[in-house]
Amino acid sequence: MYWEKELETLPEKELRQLQVNRLNITLAHARRSPFYGELFGRNGNHPESVNDVKGIESLPFTVKQQLRDHFPYGFLTLPQKEIIRLHSSSGTTGNPTVIFHNRHDIDSWANLMARSLFCAGVRDTDVFQNIVGYGLFTGGLGFQYGIEKLGALSIPAGAGNSLRQIKLMRDYGTTAIHAIPSYLTRLYDVFREEHLNPQKDTRLRLLCIGAEPHTEEQRQRIQEMFGVKAYNSFGLSEMNGPGVAFECEYQNGLHIWEDAFLVEIVNPDTLQPVPDGEFGELVMTTLDRQANPLIRYRTRDITRIIPGACPCGRTHRRIDRITGRTDDMFILKGCNIFPMQIEGVLMKIPEVGTDYRITLETVSDQDTMVIDVEIKKDCFRGDLAFLDKLQKRLTHLIRDEVLVTPVIRLVEPGSLPKAEGKAVRVYDTRKR
Amino acid sequence: MAYQVSVFLENKIGHMERITAVLKAAGINILTMNLNHTTGGWGIVNLLVDQPELAYRQLSDAGISAALRRIVVLPMEDKPGSLDGLLRKIAGAGINFTTAYGRSGRGTAWFVVDTEDIPDAETMLKSAGLEILPDETVYTLD
Repeated sequence: MYWEKELETLPEKELRQLQVNRLNITLAHARRSPFYGELFGRNGNHPESVNDVKGIESLPFTVKQQLRDHFPYGFLTLPQKEIIRLHSSSGTTGNPTVIFHNRHDIDSWANLMARSLFCAGVRDTDVFQNIVGYGLFTGGLGFQYGIEKLGALSIPAGAGNSLRQIKLMRDYGTTAIHAIPSYLTRLYDVFREEHLNPQKDTRLRLLCIGAEPHTEEQRQRIQEMFGVKAYNSFGLSEMNGPGVAFECEYQNGLHIWEDAFLVEIVNPDTLQPVPDGEFGELVMTTLDRQANPLIRYRTRDITRIIPGACPCGRTHRRIDRITGRTDDMFILKGCNIFPMQIEGVLMKIPEVGTDYRITLETVSDQDTMVIDVEIKKDCFRGDLAFLDKLQKRLTHLIRDEVLVTPVIRLVEPGSLPKAEGKAVRVYDTRKR
Repeated sequence: MAYQVSVFLENKIGHMERITAVLKAAGINILTMNLNHTTGGWGIVNLLVDQPELAYRQLSDAGISAALRRIVVLPMEDKPGSLDGLLRKIAGAGINFTTAYGRSGRGTAWFVVDTEDIPDAETMLKSAGLEILPDETVYTLD
């Protein structure tokens, strides 16, 4: 039933004590990094250790901008010789967010991932096809290490090429899949186009979906298409990646692994804690990471703690699916995108005017990003070839920046609503 | 040198009227035109008008993306086979064009070719034996 019975079913009181012990170890690690060394060292009013989990509330928050400002090694606690891997956000403008791991961190992450998969019902007899991008994106290697740790047969298929995915599934009798939810809808269409039925023509028995916000209705649709259960996976690259929280057989919220993460839900305006059951911003502290610990990291994800015990017997509390963000980041095809990244690319192109608009649409079950771009009147030379080239250039530059290919629409100057103050640049009309 | 006015146009209901309203207000007459569109949801209207410079100024002032582009107008007899003969000569001059349109009048027809991006087009066409309509006649096609 459990990957690590004792840890997963640890009584509440012992779990909190474990958290306190690990938090104090984490604080000691953190002080060795230039960033936290400065933060906790100079301002001597921060405690060296805490006596209970509530003690964390006396410590300052960490935000993404600080990770960027102290790029690349400001949060590193160990000499580079000890580091064996890094994962970094995409982007060519500004500093990316990078997280470093030593061997302990990679082992710990792999174990959390194995525990997550086991929790969703994956066993060592499964054939697990991981249909997400490998490389710097954490969903590839994160799952890979977890599948191997658990002992299932892994197929590191990577993202895209649906026909090949289907062939792999049929050749090797794939029983479990990890993919982003919007891709599974696409994959199902390809099954139908090939006159195949995934319920009859594969040996699938479960799906893991994540890396992209989705609703319960979307999950239901996917389950109906494939005829198997789809378990929700949650993670973020600052907290390793996947393996932070995962659904169990009851599919009623995601167990967040509290031996590895200290979880707070705060009101994003007052930054004060909210009671269990109430929605707020998820704030997380790593409890088992040596090279790159993060203290009270504001994830910007909005969720809540689901009150009450889970019938599965795990004592680690459950979070609800993510309902939104407290910043303007949006997620498309599993890629985290900030509108500023797109603005950064556009504003470097002299032919582009000051206004633009991003629309997220669902076109035949595929999520796409349409960017309306104003061309400067003075740059217009009256020929199609010039505009065509401009459109292609913008498409490639934005793709390189955010890793999703946008649809660029050139529009007449003055036809977009003027940007005033904090203009809403993103219109999300995606079907959920 | 003769010019057409080329205007950027989104492929949306009511957008072309933004252009024709400006022309109407300025009393500009359209002699012939063509309209194209791309998969990107936009296109270009090429207008041969009686007063291209005025049209360009008025459209620009109205905030519309417009450009003046060099053209040649090639006259021919208005009868079957004329365009075929004309095109053979253009090909003979080694000229490749991407935008062209026509107009026919009483016994005469005209072929308008965008030559903005073809240096020496006029010289090449003339040496291939083609007649190019003089500028003063271009804007009064009849």
